[in-house]
Amino acid sequence: VPAVFPIVVRTVDDVTVVDLHGHLMDDGDIPLVECVTDLIRRGRLKVLLNLKDVTRIDSTGIGMLVAKFLSLRRLGGDLKLLHVSERARHLLAVTKLSRVIETFESEEEALRSFGVRP
Amino acid sequence: MSSSSAEQRRVLIVDDDRALRHALATLLQGKGYAVEQAGDGTEGLLHLRRDGTDVMLLDINLPGMSGLEVLEQAQALPSPPFVVMMTADGTPETVVRAVQGQAFRYIRKPFAPKAIIEIVGDAMSAAPAAALPIEVISARPEWLEVVAPCTLEVAERLHALVMQLETSLPEDVRESVAQACRELLFNAVEWGGKLDPTRKVRISCLRAKRMLLYRIADPGEGFDIERLMHAAICNPDDDPLRHALVREEQGLRPGGLGLAITRSLVDELIYNEAHNEVVFVKYLD
Repeated sequence: VPAVFPIVVRTVDDVTVVDLHGHLMDDGDIPLVECVTDLIRRGRLKVLLNLKDVTRIDSTGIGMLVAKFLSLRRLGGDLKLLHVSERARHLLAVTKLSRVIETFESEEEALRSFGVRP
Repeated sequence: MSSSSAEQRRVLIVDDDRALRHALATLLQGKGYAVEQAGDGTEGLLHLRRDGTDVMLLDINLPGMSGLEVLEQAQALPSPPFVVMMTADGTPETVVRAVQGQAFRYIRKPFAPKAIIEIVGDAMSAAPAAALPIEVISARPEWLEVVAPCTLEVAERLHALVMQLETSLPEDVRESVAQACRELLFNAVEWGGKLDPTRKVRISCLRAKRMLLYRIADPGEGFDIERLMHAAICNPDDDPLRHALVREEQGLRPGGLGLAITRSLVDELIYNEAHNEVVFVKYLD
């Protein structure tokens, strides 16, 4: 019985917004890996991950974000983060990943950074 | 562990608080579970022996037989369920007894509906390996020491239980300790223990007046921290992605951030010479 569907995918122009729910950890990241892999297969290379409803995140979750960030960048795409919690922001800062992965507080602002006009 | 062949997974609620029982039953039925109820331990065990269940939500302060006694008897059954202990008491002594009784999780009342749904979901999706026994070496709240098989499932269970000892701490301290413990424990069972359930990891959690000290000893040979090119802790300042590229080249799964993150969360992080034992300290003032 899946209590919650962990991922909702929305499309705004050529950007795919992925709303995540629950844990982003070793036990919960497989749907996201599959989701981003599928987006890459379909040529949708601009991905905005919305972490608003992510309740827990650990090093494995961040590691998975980094792996997908690299995959997308290599293909000319990008992965950016929306609504990052204070704790996740801390994790990105101490690993210096905040220098390379962009984060946003507003979806509109994030979409604009991808070149989407409001 | 029990496993239902029917599509609908089963939850047994054992609590003398009728209103809570009904509220929980309604909540969980709404999530698609088949829910049974019992008002005391005797009735709960009777139900368990007769029909079994996948997950039992068990109050500790039951009339007559206590929840901890029910837990002990439930674990002796041929096909015990995953047991989630519920209590309003929440003393460290009770948490330790729940660890001894091989509980799956421990939750303090009152709890948010979301929290219990998440725990029941965790139990329903847990692998049978999550039920492997944890040996308790020292059962004092100020010195809990356990030996556990090297599986991620047991590490997850142990971590969730141990963190219930620290609920009196400020939220930010508790979260830091929880995350540091999780990162190091998972490193220990995965890298040191090779996820081999026949190998054991030893965890000591010491609580002093002004500090917490955790020691984790794994059965591996240790490592040379200077040569961990696949770990972010060795990244040059100007290249935070180097470890990820190394991991890709070596065919390792994404990760490598645990040590870098842990170092930022605790006050002291000390390895022994071989690097198969680690101590971390969090000062409380």
